[in-house]
Amino acid sequence: MWQSVKCLVAWLVLGVSVVLGTAAAEAHPHVWIVAKSELIYAPDGTITGVRHAWTFDDMFSTYALQGIETKVKGAYSRDELAPLAQTNVESLKEYAYFTFAKGDGKKQKFTEPVDYFLEYKDSALTLHFTLPVKTPFKARQLSLEVFDPTYFIDFQFAEKEPVKLVGAAAECKMQFERPNSDGTAAAQKLGEQNFLDGGNGNFGMMFANKITVDCP
Amino acid sequence: MTLIASRVMRGLAVSAAVLAAVAVLDGAVHALLAQNPFGAPRTAEPQGGIFGWLLAKQSEFYREISQAIRAAKSDGSAVWTLLAISFAYGIFHAAGPGHGKAVISSYMVANRETARRGIVLSFASALMQSLVAVAIVGICAWLLNATAKTMCGAEKAIEIASYALIAGFGARLVWLKGGGFFRALQPARPALAMAGAQQHDHDQHDHDHRGHGHDHHHRHAYDDDGHHHGHDHGHDAQHVHDEHCGHSHGPTPAELAGPGGWRRGLSAIFTVGIRPCSGAILVLVFALAQGLFWAGVAATFVMGLGTAITVAAIALVAVSARGVAERLSAARDGGGMVIMRGLEFAAASLVLLFGLGLLFGYVAAERATCL
Repeated sequence: MWQSVKCLVAWLVLGVSVVLGTAAAEAHPHVWIVAKSELIYAPDGTITGVRHAWTFDDMFSTYALQGIETKVKGAYSRDELAPLAQTNVESLKEYAYFTFAKGDGKKQKFTEPVDYFLEYKDSALTLHFTLPVKTPFKARQLSLEVFDPTYFIDFQFAEKEPVKLVGAAAECKMQFERPNSDGTAAAQKLGEQNFLDGGNGNFGMMFANKITVDCP
Repeated sequence: MTLIASRVMRGLAVSAAVLAAVAVLDGAVHALLAQNPFGAPRTAEPQGGIFGWLLAKQSEFYREISQAIRAAKSDGSAVWTLLAISFAYGIFHAAGPGHGKAVISSYMVANRETARRGIVLSFASALMQSLVAVAIVGICAWLLNATAKTMCGAEKAIEIASYALIAGFGARLVWLKGGGFFRALQPARPALAMAGAQQHDHDQHDHDHRGHGHDHHHRHAYDDDGHHHGHDHGHDAQHVHDEHCGHSHGPTPAELAGPGGWRRGLSAIFTVGIRPCSGAILVLVFALAQGLFWAGVAATFVMGLGTAITVAAIALVAVSARGVAERLSAARDGGGMVIMRGLEFAAASLVLLFGLGLLFGYVAAERATCL
């Protein structure tokens, strides 16, 4: 009897983990962000922070602007948007700002954003903010990934100047990897390839925007 | 004893296999229909070719909704495009989290529901989801002109309430089904006659209990309104309740037919339907800002219709899986009841664990649009 209860529990755990595993796989984007990022270096070569400019899609921009009173209809000044910017950066904390940095393989933390503000242009909101590194560090290889692990938000870097190094030494080399061109075409190829390979591809890395900087 | 033990084990194995099959199928459907083109960070589902194309299409649908709403502002006929896109999006989108497939499917298995009821439950809960989305945006944004922050607060509160409801709903099912399962385990003697006698005793007990409940309700109804109608109503409600509780003993053909009674499914509809989909809320706010709130409302309901079709299809799979298990277990005399009770108990537990997982953050669900 006890044995069978234990067996039942074991099967339940298995069933639940299957359901939960797929639940994680189910997420799909509702918010699209076109990002531009700058990596900020101090004169001595330490990395001090990341400056982001994230432009939201028109649907989310409209949603975010709901209920905000303005002097001129349809025009939002930086001051009028200040409370919303505040809300944005506060909510982003929960998701670690979707920014994951590693210096020579070691995870780096960020402190709360500074210099944040919102801009409204061409019916889209752009959130600007700077993430200071908790303890500025030097690294031969810096890797920075920008993505939402739950894929509620789709991050795409801008076509023009997606990533800039600010104040980095001239010999530092930057590499930028996109998840794929439009988020689907490569996935299709990837899917087929993965199917043929027996499905052991590393998908997690595939939808991150990966920036690597090598400074010899 | 070993005979019984092996029978129990066999029963559990079959139940678990059916549940796992439902779960895997559910998962496979998600993996195929979900828009996420990369699968989960950790689970690698093979997807490509035609499925890759489907995923790409789904992503387009959602983005086309905002364009269609903009177009409808100047060209009325674009509303039809909007509705068509919303419908298609709803069908695909229901593969995502937050649409109660897991809850409805498990409920169908646990509570011996018929296919027809599964379809009704799916459609009713999708309708309620649409209504809640329209109510949130209608009240918060349209009437009160609240900010996104306030609206997101409302969404979050509803989200937590819905998780608690799922857990509570699961707990109630576990309570009801657990009794049946452990009683089914107990008639350890192979003699079926003995088991029957025991069940009879149990029925008697239930009957006594019912009598009590009826008395109570009867009095209560009179206290409330002292009205003949009140009495009738109270009696009816009690009767429906009886049918439900009656499930803890062995099945009779009448019970397997699954008599109607909206009240029985109402808790399931409420549990699943209270949580609106973030996509619908975004669409509604966007439509409102474009001065086309009605178009957003229409799109939301059509989206709900699409969602209902997918959820109903998954619920039907769960019902057929249960039917197969029933036929398989019926072939084994004696152990059959243990198998089915075990299956129901396991499905009930799944709802409870799912609710608790959501509540305590172990299960990722579609999150509210709070940024």
